[in-house]
Amino acid sequence: MSYLQLLGLVAPETIVVITALVVLGLDLLILREQPLRHRFWMGAAFAAFGCVLAAAWLLFINSPTHPAGEVSGALPLLRGMFVDDGLVRLVKVALLGLTVFTIAISMESSFTGHVGEYLALILLATVGMMFLVSAEDILMIFISLELTSLSLYILTAFNKRNVKSAEAALKYFLFGGMSAAFTLFGLSLVYGLSGSTGLREIAAKLEQPALDPLLVAAIVMTVIGFGFKVAAVPFHLWAPDAYQGAPTPSAAFIASGSKVASFFVFAKVMMLGFAHAGGSGSWHAYAPGWLPVLAVVAVASMLLGNLAAIAQSNVKRLLAYSAIAHGGYALLGILANGPSGVTSLVYYVVTYGLTVLGAFGVVGLVEERAGEARISDFAGLGRREPLLAFCMMIFMLSLAGIPPLAGFFGKFYVFTAAVGGAKDLGLLWLVIFAIAMSAVSLYYYLQVLKQIYVVPVSAESGSLGAPISSRIVLAVIAFGVVALGCAPDFLVGRLLAAIKLAAL
Amino acid sequence: MDVTLEHYLVVSGVLFSLGLLGVIMRRNLLVIYMCLELMLNAANLALVAMSRYNGNLDGQIMVFFIITVAAAEVAVGLALIVALYRRRQTAHVEDLTSLKS
Repeated sequence: MSYLQLLGLVAPETIVVITALVVLGLDLLILREQPLRHRFWMGAAFAAFGCVLAAAWLLFINSPTHPAGEVSGALPLLRGMFVDDGLVRLVKVALLGLTVFTIAISMESSFTGHVGEYLALILLATVGMMFLVSAEDILMIFISLELTSLSLYILTAFNKRNVKSAEAALKYFLFGGMSAAFTLFGLSLVYGLSGSTGLREIAAKLEQPALDPLLVAAIVMTVIGFGFKVAAVPFHLWAPDAYQGAPTPSAAFIASGSKVASFFVFAKVMMLGFAHAGGSGSWHAYAPGWLPVLAVVAVASMLLGNLAAIAQSNVKRLLAYSAIAHGGYALLGILANGPSGVTSLVYYVVTYGLTVLGAFGVVGLVEERAGEARISDFAGLGRREPLLAFCMMIFMLSLAGIPPLAGFFGKFYVFTAAVGGAKDLGLLWLVIFAIAMSAVSLYYYLQVLKQIYVVPVSAESGSLGAPISSRIVLAVIAFGVVALGCAPDFLVGRLLAAIKLAAL
Repeated sequence: MDVTLEHYLVVSGVLFSLGLLGVIMRRNLLVIYMCLELMLNAANLALVAMSRYNGNLDGQIMVFFIITVAAAEVAVGLALIVALYRRRQTAHVEDLTSLKS
């Protein structure tokens, strides 16, 4: 295989990298003298164009019709360093879509003067996520994870005028660095046990009935590392602080894009790499392995996330705790441990990412006006800003899982996958617990909606003066949430078709 | 005495635990960074030892990448400390308390 072919394989990523560099150069050389708003518009338009181009490439240009035929020619050479099949391509397109929306909601913000750097970092983080989704090799997973994380740390610290931003970034960095070390140590043990860095080869080598104590240590450490990444309890401590202190678009990106990529690779490592060390988390047929470990983590996340969210007065912190709880639900998709689990997981995290992106968009507009994002700052939003309030209602109800919105079908698929995933309905206890917990979650989402629609407007607060472009973007996201909920088959059908060929 | 794989793994395990202890217990951000590096280097040691044990070079190649990534990570981390220090004149974790519900 020549370098040209290699470049053709990673063309979408290359497009995004080139876009990042061009946006950086454009801003530094040509747009320097222009007013901030103008620079943001030009840069954002170009960055979004690059993402759309990459997505179009993924969708239309030599898509692998049969991955076993086309990609297996590449697999031995790259040894799973870069996998390109229908499922991976769908997830990448979703990631690029989330990136475009993130760029769109940051277009009117004024927290930074370094527009080029900001957009370039978002794009580089996206490249990291795209490689992460493609990786089936320890080395590649680690490097793309770090590329994503390092970009996200800087994005968190991007508001240099606000002391909270730097503090949030430091906490995020410290926990993230620790998580990287844990992941690496766990994976290095796995390498030692199997003598290979490819996930599929590892699974083949580790095929033995008894659990090696070293393998147990490796599994636990890997779960800890990825648990930090997806903010599952008890590794969630960074999330509320990072979400609260980060500039709102950055927080939205951490909550949406990075969640999608991390969960996908988490599922891949567990299901592919540790395929024979699953054990069982069933109520009556417990067996050691990674499934019971993840079951405990999922229960803790749902419990603590939902209960702590009730006590929050800041909407960004509330969304952070709700993200922890949603991480718990999404773990059920991994626990289902099979094709239906992966399908439901991807549908769940993609729709969740879209919803939370919209919610952060509204929060950002309120914050821009009020200076903070306390729940009381939303009082009377229904009168002041009918359209934004309606969008926020859709996002909140979708997060709570009310039909016919996307959040409901996400939960529905994940729960059914989990029930069917274990023998004799073994995971039913977990699903019942999850359903009870999502009833609890309705309370705090409705608290926000109560402020918006029921609490009367105070005299001095008028309309938010939100720019028309932000309104349009948020309306489009809200429409997407409703549409994905009304026609879930649009995404699920494609995922199922792709997963049949992907052999995950 | 023969130095076997177990010895290397024990040393790397001890290094990792020391690093973790340092991250949890130390109060100065710079020292915490050093402990983070110690954790990463414990993984490096394990990788090199395992690479030798397995008889292939994959682990050693990984170590090179990890060293590079760790350097980038430290650069970002130090930049964050500088950003914080400019606003707050402190590099101690117990002073990081402005984020609350």
